[in-house]
Amino acid sequence: MKPNDQDKKNPFVRRFSHERIQETIMFGILRSMTFFVLFCAAFLFWDILSKGSTKIFEGDGLINWEFLTEDPQTLHVTKDGETEIKLSSKKYYKLKDEKMLQKWNAFKQGPDYDAALERLNLGIKAIRKEWTEDGLQKAKVEFIARERESSLGKFSFWKELATDPQTTASDFELEIEKVPETISQFILGHLERESGRLAEVEGEIRNFRARQYPLIENPTEASIPKIESAYLDLLEELPTLLTEATTNFGREIQTNYSSFIKTGGPKAFANLAEAIEAYGPIRQSLLGKNGGQEAWDEMQACLAPFRQSMEITLPSKDYAYSGGGIFPAIIGTLLLVLGAMLIAIVLGVFCAIFLAEYGKPGKFLSLVRLAILNLAGVPSIIFGLFGFGLFVIFLDWNVSLLAGWFTLAFMVLPIVITASEEALRSIPQGFRESSLALGATKWTMIRTSVIPYAMPGILTSSILGVARAAGETAPIMFTAAYAKRSELPWEGLEHWTDFFFQGVMALPYHIYVVSAKIPQNEYTQDMQYGTAFVFLVLVLGIASLSIVLRNRLRKKYHW
Amino acid sequence: MQSVNDQKAPEREGATEPEPKNATISIRNLDFLYGENQVLHDVSLDIFPNEVMAFIGPSGCGKSTLLRCFNRMNDLVEGAKIGKGSIEIHGTDLQDQSVDVIELRKKVGMVFQKSNPFPKSIYQNVAYGLQIQGLKSKKIIDEKVEESLRKAALWEEVKDRLNENAYGLSGGQQQRLCIARTLAVEPEIILMDEPCSALDPVATGRVEELIFGLKAEYTIVVVTHNMQQAGRVSDRTAFFYLGKLIECDLTKKIFLNPSKKETEDYISGKFG
Repeated sequence: MKPNDQDKKNPFVRRFSHERIQETIMFGILRSMTFFVLFCAAFLFWDILSKGSTKIFEGDGLINWEFLTEDPQTLHVTKDGETEIKLSSKKYYKLKDEKMLQKWNAFKQGPDYDAALERLNLGIKAIRKEWTEDGLQKAKVEFIARERESSLGKFSFWKELATDPQTTASDFELEIEKVPETISQFILGHLERESGRLAEVEGEIRNFRARQYPLIENPTEASIPKIESAYLDLLEELPTLLTEATTNFGREIQTNYSSFIKTGGPKAFANLAEAIEAYGPIRQSLLGKNGGQEAWDEMQACLAPFRQSMEITLPSKDYAYSGGGIFPAIIGTLLLVLGAMLIAIVLGVFCAIFLAEYGKPGKFLSLVRLAILNLAGVPSIIFGLFGFGLFVIFLDWNVSLLAGWFTLAFMVLPIVITASEEALRSIPQGFRESSLALGATKWTMIRTSVIPYAMPGILTSSILGVARAAGETAPIMFTAAYAKRSELPWEGLEHWTDFFFQGVMALPYHIYVVSAKIPQNEYTQDMQYGTAFVFLVLVLGIASLSIVLRNRLRKKYHW
Repeated sequence: MQSVNDQKAPEREGATEPEPKNATISIRNLDFLYGENQVLHDVSLDIFPNEVMAFIGPSGCGKSTLLRCFNRMNDLVEGAKIGKGSIEIHGTDLQDQSVDVIELRKKVGMVFQKSNPFPKSIYQNVAYGLQIQGLKSKKIIDEKVEESLRKAALWEEVKDRLNENAYGLSGGQQQRLCIARTLAVEPEIILMDEPCSALDPVATGRVEELIFGLKAEYTIVVVTHNMQQAGRVSDRTAFFYLGKLIECDLTKKIFLNPSKKETEDYISGKFG
């Protein structure tokens, strides 16, 4: 059949045309773009949900409650026998304590314990002599004599140098003008070393140095004896301070020892060992470098068997921020969202009511609108800086919930105002007119026949806007967010107002911290995606809450 | 322009030409402007107690604007103002400083073109006007709601579902509810801005009946596009054209024997 014949028979035959090609191509493009967007969205959700679920559904139970209820901790990967176990800090140290207690108890029930205890008793007795009245008196006299001797040697040497600058210069290969400076360096250096050597009195020596600085700065034959005599005077004062400190530390050792004898536990022992350790430097500065060395060595030897039984090796690889959970961050985010929402909705709704109901079109109104429009275009990091400058620094609120609330609220204000204004404007003019015609004042009209009907719209858009903005990291990172805070917001408050002036952890900032601020390892990804998963669920939860709320209100007021 | 109140003796049965000094609303040489745009030119008119006055005329002739002057709803419109002349209700100039627009609107109720009950229950709709005046007593409000709904001939239809949403009512019922809402605050004058334009013929009929019945207690001004309606419900009719009051007379005379050519053309459907 010829085409022409067919044309005659069917006047509606499909024709090849430019429009037809265009239509086919455009349809293809539109469809593929839509599918691309759908694919991207699906990929995003799949990615976060699949990777996040490894953390959320980790462990024995259905849900990894530790992740939801603990604060972030270091992850310790250690070995229990042959199997590898992953423990967050709290559990790791608990395990370590348990093992230590086991070892300690084994030692306590063992044959050597009583002997060791007896030896410790003798050791303590030996060292106790140092803080008896006699011991202290003796130490005092010896200290003065010892220190005096060594100081006199130093000062006579410096005097010599000052008397004969010529020789000094040649000995030290100096220009003659530099001699006083060098001597003063010597003196200052000596005093610095002395203040380092003599524990508990370093402050006094530093003060002395500051007081005598005008003389030391310019040492001459005449000034060095003055410094010397002042220093010798100081040496007379120091032993009193040292003996006082010794008495105090001695008392500390005494009480710790008796409580250790009473309980016999590892904790009490650790306290005792710590007290003895702290006493070391003080006795060294009072008794001299080798004074009472035997008693001290014996003391250390007595402690050794106890120390050994406390030593536990539980080797582990540590990964910062990879253990524990994100409970404080969840709480922090909820607090931030709620507070910011409240502030933004109150401010925004009032502003919108004025704009929509009272504002007369004119220069002022267009200025306000321009301001709101510009505010909407400001990047979030700028809001962060603004909040930092205004609330944190200028108003001195520090990094706090309050500063975060206001910063976030200011950021979402344009959204809330625009949404609320739209909701108010969508209320039929008829409601306003009939209300006014029934003798309502303007405010009564707004209160009774505009706001109630606009509320569903206002709430939904505002909550959605705020929930979105609450996910921003930039505005809170200088104003409200802490990288790590082990206390929950309601813990450790001295006064109820402190609640508002504390920083909190927040989920978005936590994601930032675990992704960018800590060394990456094989466990950080789980942490990131786990947090992202929870965050996503939280934001979706808030959004669906607002939608439920809207539907309920809509059912009540529909027209 | 000849004074429109210099009418001849009444021809309509039962209707008598009232004396101007008894007028409820009297308009004297009123010019009205929206910004630069003058929409009413030198209108003078008296509306008397317990009559139904109909305003007719083509779109944009200023009849609604005039109606909205009576309870100063035009205050809401940016740039709307009275150029010269005055509107008096019982001898009080509405533009006077001492006139409180809230009190005025309680006395001069208004029913709008589109029925617009609040999205609340039927009961709350009627009670609204009373509640915003600070009336608290549930008993009094209940009584007034029933009374108003009875007057609006709606009571029998809604008495069992007072707490249902007003938007469950039919269009005509909604409009009667709006009338009941207006009646509840006990106005003296009721303004109706094309109350039946959105209603079907049956509903229109019921509203018209209602208007006719309300005449005994209220002074009613009805704006309408529908000339037959004006003929059915009103005692007197005023015809507006291009912002001017062309003619005002007993309804029967306007329809049967208009004195102006424009009126005749409009009535006979030559334009508008």
